[in-house]
Amino acid sequence: MILIVSSRGDGAAERVLAALRRRGARLVGDDTGDGTGPPVLWWDTGDFPGHSRITASFTGGQRRLLLDTGTKTIDLSRITAVWRSRPGRPSAAGTVTEPSHRAHVDEQAEFMLDGVWSLLTARWLPGRRADERRAHNKIFHMARAIELGFSVPDTVYTNDPAELADAYESAEGRLVAKQITAEPFQVDGAEHRAYTTVVTRRHLTSRHRIQHEPVILQPYVPKAVELRVIVVGTRVFAAEIDASGSRAARDDWRHYDNDRVRYGVHELPAEVSLRCARLVADVGLTYAALDFIVTPGGEYVFLELNSNGAWGFVELWTGLPVSDAIAGWLMDGGTP
Amino acid sequence: MTDFAKVLESGVSLLRALPRRSVGVSDARRTAGEWAARHPEIRARLVVDRRPGTPVVDYDLLLDHPDGGTVALTAPPEDGVPWLIDHSTHWAAGYLVSVNDVDVTVPQALTMLRSLSRGDSSPYREIIDQCLLVEATGETEPLSAADLQATADEFRRGRGLHDRESTLVWMAEAGMSGEQFEAYITEIAQRRRFRRDREAELAPGHLAANPGDFARVRAVWVTGEEKVTAGTVSDLLTGLASLGDTGEVTATFATRWEADLPAPLRGTPPGGIVGPVELPDGGFLTGTVLHRSPATDDRETLAAAGRAAFTGWLAERRAAATVEWHWS
Repeated sequence: MILIVSSRGDGAAERVLAALRRRGARLVGDDTGDGTGPPVLWWDTGDFPGHSRITASFTGGQRRLLLDTGTKTIDLSRITAVWRSRPGRPSAAGTVTEPSHRAHVDEQAEFMLDGVWSLLTARWLPGRRADERRAHNKIFHMARAIELGFSVPDTVYTNDPAELADAYESAEGRLVAKQITAEPFQVDGAEHRAYTTVVTRRHLTSRHRIQHEPVILQPYVPKAVELRVIVVGTRVFAAEIDASGSRAARDDWRHYDNDRVRYGVHELPAEVSLRCARLVADVGLTYAALDFIVTPGGEYVFLELNSNGAWGFVELWTGLPVSDAIAGWLMDGGTP
Repeated sequence: MTDFAKVLESGVSLLRALPRRSVGVSDARRTAGEWAARHPEIRARLVVDRRPGTPVVDYDLLLDHPDGGTVALTAPPEDGVPWLIDHSTHWAAGYLVSVNDVDVTVPQALTMLRSLSRGDSSPYREIIDQCLLVEATGETEPLSAADLQATADEFRRGRGLHDRESTLVWMAEAGMSGEQFEAYITEIAQRRRFRRDREAELAPGHLAANPGDFARVRAVWVTGEEKVTAGTVSDLLTGLASLGDTGEVTATFATRWEADLPAPLRGTPPGGIVGPVELPDGGFLTGTVLHRSPATDDRETLAAAGRAAFTGWLAERRAAATVEWHWS
């Protein structure tokens, strides 16, 4: 049995489910299909413990791991592959109203899930929660990328204000700043974003603020195109993103100014492709989305690895068959 | 300490105390103006640096140096705000409106407005409806060449672009490259296909639920500023000739779907004269139904039912949508 752990309405999961069905899999609880392949359960950790029950028992020398989704009961030991697509945070039932109780419940549930997942002998994509979290850390995966021979920009992770002017001068005034990790915050009660920021002399005047939170400082890398490279097992798909026509997305394509950004399939050099797959395996994952810049001189500069990075837009805008690759990996490990 | 050093120290204190939000700029200018008036010899000038996409502002103070030249002061205080948060932008910076999960930039909104073809919709509603269609269309299968060609032809016909040259002129006016025009037509084609498929899907059910709306009705009616009184159909038509020469009347002799008739005529049995009835937008209507055929499920009727059902479906989505305009 294949387990898709994701919130309802996840478009990526819908696409992979469709690909699984094309390969003969059938959704648990859906009797309309005629697939003869493995059953697929789509369940969201956000339903636990509010709407689902999990029992792990060790009695009489026997181990039982049961998931009751509210409509069906699943023996979790039957799971052969797990895809953590967009899992919801565990959530208490609505009747638990006291905030500290809810927080307590959520923590207990997360801990319970980690324990249960640790006992599954299934293959995981991209990996278990802890693996994803560790690999997503930019400092960790950048070090591995350098060890594997990737070209990376000179990079400083720091909360020392004294580093800013040095980095700015080293970059000859063409410096960008990024967050260590994207976490939500507000300014005057409104949600704000800190995209890749081109550092100006104005930014230098408030260097003291860096002491409050570490940032990433890198020289601006001139780009011919940006790449999002999707690795699924040993398969590697590369999409190029040309944001040069968009004022909004020129420095950070995550502004998604799709009318002015061109997407296309990119042919990676074989050794770069191989190295991408090696990096993902090296950081302990079976899937990741890697971001690169291709310089006007043709150099591939590694920027970062996203443990569970988005691929839906890559498939949508380039036609690269990522959902089918994920389905294949879940079915049989993606062996040709 | 020299006088100038004292002024500098005072200027720094001034800058550190100014409000760092755009709503406070007037107060900041007033405060700085009062400060400058106390130091006329340095001709101080406050410069406000308004950053796009955030309420946060920065200030510089320009001063004359006693020996000539300009001194620029800036003095962000320590207020405990992390650096990248201080330099962040509102999540919707660059967006005009969000409809449910669809965020629309100003350039995207303009391309939506270019597709305006109906006089009964405000630009605001048109943008929202387009967003709802984008959301509903979602990720779709590739379009056929025939779909794309039909959409491009319809688009050009609707704008009188009958040849390549006039199309290129239109693209130049809209600032679109060939690639952007192709993407633009593709998006319209996706929505057009979605609408066609949805209408076909909804039509039978809508017709079955509302057969009365799709009766075919032959009717004649007169509207105008003056009341037209008639006892019979022939009175109605001959009476037009005897109207005074003030005002204007419109006589319509037509076959319509029941739901498309003027409201006073809907559901009235054939033969009887209706009116004169005052219309909601002013003027009067007098008319009669000549003949009514019950609805059938022929192709034309199903198409009309599909259009009506789709309009209703879209209205429901619009009523349930979360719409947030980002005007600032």
